Amino acid sequence: MKAIGQMPRPKSGSTFELLSWFYMRVSGLLMALMITFHLLWMHLIVGLDNINFSVVADRWMYPITGTLWRVFDLLLLIFAVTHGMNGIRFSIEDYVHNRSWQLFLKTAVAILLLFLLFIGSYIVFVFEV
Amino acid sequence: MTVISSTKDFVVRTATYKGGVGHASWILHRLGGIGIAVFLILHIIDIFMIVLGKEMFDFFLFIYHQPIFRPAIWGLMFGIFYHAVNGVRIIIHDFFPSTFRYQREMVLGAWVIIGILVVLTVGMDIFNWITYAGSH
Amino acid sequence: MKKRTLKIKRFNPTKDKKPYWQEFVVEAEDTDRILDALNHIKWYVDGSLTMRRSCAHGICGSDAMCINGKNLLACKALFKEVGDDVTIEPLAGLPVIRDLVVDMEPFMEHYRTVLPYFISETPPPSYGERLQSIEERKIFDDTTKCILCAACTTSCPSFWARGEYIGPSAIVQAHRFIFDSRDDGAAARLDILGNADGVWRCRTIYNCTNACPRGIEVTKAVGEVKKEILFSTL
Ligand code: SF4
Ligand code: FES
Repeated sequence: MKAIGQMPRPKSGSTFELLSWFYMRVSGLLMALMITFHLLWMHLIVGLDNINFSVVADRWMYPITGTLWRVFDLLLLIFAVTHGMNGIRFSIEDYVHNRSWQLFLKTAVAILLLFLLFIGSYIVFVFEV
Repeated sequence: MTVISSTKDFVVRTATYKGGVGHASWILHRLGGIGIAVFLILHIIDIFMIVLGKEMFDFFLFIYHQPIFRPAIWGLMFGIFYHAVNGVRIIIHDFFPSTFRYQREMVLGAWVIIGILVVLTVGMDIFNWITYAGSH
Repeated sequence: MKKRTLKIKRFNPTKDKKPYWQEFVVEAEDTDRILDALNHIKWYVDGSLTMRRSCAHGICGSDAMCINGKNLLACKALFKEVGDDVTIEPLAGLPVIRDLVVDMEPFMEHYRTVLPYFISETPPPSYGERLQSIEERKIFDDTTKCILCAACTTSCPSFWARGEYIGPSAIVQAHRFIFDSRDDGAAARLDILGNADGVWRCRTIYNCTNACPRGIEVTKAVGEVKKEILFSTL
């Protein structure tokens, strides 16, 4: 045995599951902070009933803070969609054992992921009042 | 090879196995995760409605803000905070495996944090709701 | 002596279409073990009751079963710990052969895939043994205690959901060699455990740690293997 942390690198096999596991932790940790901020902001500062078109428009249109908000929203979008759809994939692999159904559902989830990323980032990038 | 032969067996076993706090936490984490993913899809689509312009967007939000949906939103608040805080607990266990000895304490701590966050947001919602309703 | 009810899940594939519950009333002391009650039933009440047991002292690992919703060794569980009325089922996630006996083959198959034996590239010293310091031994001391009872693997929701998951027990066995300073097979084992149905199916639920009758810190061992694969790959 080599020193802990310095063992020979595993040889073959895909590292996809490893990276997916690691990504779930990293994105999860970041999102735990971002979502707490997002929710506290929306519920404490803005107030749920006050959310409307102008609130969203205002926050995206100011020169500098607007860009920061857009970056924040884009990151939250990317993390949430990838983390969420990967979690759905886990559940499908766990509970759907029929091969064809599994393939079908996983493909559907992949398409959904791309679709959500597309329409989400479209709004963040393109929105103008 | 799996021999929890049916979905029913699996559900019964999951519901009745006495695995302790970790088992219960996992059930909530997974159910909550699936629920949040479903909401996420709706949420992205409803924000996308902003392309339809001010009137349509405000109309969609008007539907969201109907009192019937309020309990669902509060359930969602709990679900999201639970998933976030419990997730951080799991990350700590994963990267510092010897913390498993403090699992019970950490679960308790997680619930305290979740409680504070839910009370803050839901409490503020109720407060706003009353004052908002009063002002209209 | 107190009267106690044992509700046991019975299944005889040659006669029954489906498992069914049967109740037995036995007299037992607080300090009696569940295994004593089962033996009493088998020897004096109903000889067709089928279960595995051998050492009766928690060392052979043959009588793990689900007692009152928790995986335990019948020979280590006392009535005063589990309660007066006891429900007993076979381990979950493995095929039932008869009554409380499950087919351990899928479990053993996972065990064999992690190369659970000493692998060395260096010849043994010409005189004496391969030496190891106390500190080096301490790293994997915990995982040498495993008796392959399958209580951990069959308590894991990931294993129930997906029998292809290698399971905590096999990871414990791999841990015992991966972290042994005399062993050189770590790369091959990490390779196997890093696969899709290896350690990454673990969701840090801790059912295995709670189930292990040997008190092995199972999830901690799994976590150490995960970190090892992660840091040696990144
Ligand atoms: S780790 Fe513990 S519970 Fe799992 S097989 Fe070994 S002795 Fe049994
Ligand atoms: S009979 Fe040997 S472990 Fe229980």
